[in-house]
Amino acid sequence: MSKHLKIALVDDDIPNTEILRDFLIRNGYSHVDKYHDGESFLESIDRFDERAVVLDFDLSGGGELNGLEVLEALKERSPQTHVIFYSGQDSLEVAVESLKNGADDYIVKSNAAFALVKTSLDKVYDLQVLRLSEKRNQRISWALALGWLITLVGVAIFVAN
Amino acid sequence: MEIIDRLSAGDPEKKKYYIRLFLDTLEPELENLRGAHIGAPQEPIRAILHKLKSQVQTIGAADAHAMMSAHEQTIKGGGTISQSELDITCDLLSTLIQNLQDLLK
Repeated sequence: MSKHLKIALVDDDIPNTEILRDFLIRNGYSHVDKYHDGESFLESIDRFDERAVVLDFDLSGGGELNGLEVLEALKERSPQTHVIFYSGQDSLEVAVESLKNGADDYIVKSNAAFALVKTSLDKVYDLQVLRLSEKRNQRISWALALGWLITLVGVAIFVAN
Repeated sequence: MEIIDRLSAGDPEKKKYYIRLFLDTLEPELENLRGAHIGAPQEPIRAILHKLKSQVQTIGAADAHAMMSAHEQTIKGGGTISQSELDITCDLLSTLIQNLQDLLK
């Protein structure tokens, strides 16, 4: 089943990004973009960006910005974007900083990392499905309330006449 | 190599494509490591080791990954690695590259 969640992978590690992309596509995520530096990724976002972002910390092989700087700029422009920080740094300091700056998860690159990224994205996807369902239910509730109101007004007019 | 085997799922061309992707990074970075000056500030060496360690991990080279991680931590902690430690790392990487090249034949 195809999961309608747009994903951006931001990592200067070209082979691993390509393999992670193929892994996610194989697991049902059909829309996966990749960027090898923070600058080109930031150029691609807008205020209504709905993508989940898998963001590496050390982007020195691609551009000037590191992952924390990209995270900060991203959250200013698009606060609702879900960010999974994905780093080769097993550093408590970086983990705390990323979570303080709005990352939803912090995953250290390891043999299990691809599966952990997928699990984290599954949670984002489930949350998105839940939010859409809540919005739909809200619309139905409003439509029902409006229907009742129109009926009541109609009855009141009928009685008054 | 497990993740590559799983993703290529019996497609030899796909597997070769992934291996070439790794070789495109590993080969030039091995040259950079060999040419690195051990006496100079070792941050450039650390940056190369950091970049390579994730890749050798995905390939499944646990020894090379452990060695690169240890050297990276040493430099990050303000220490230095010796010429012989760098040479051993380069030799491990060279063997890994050779093994990958053999898989392409």
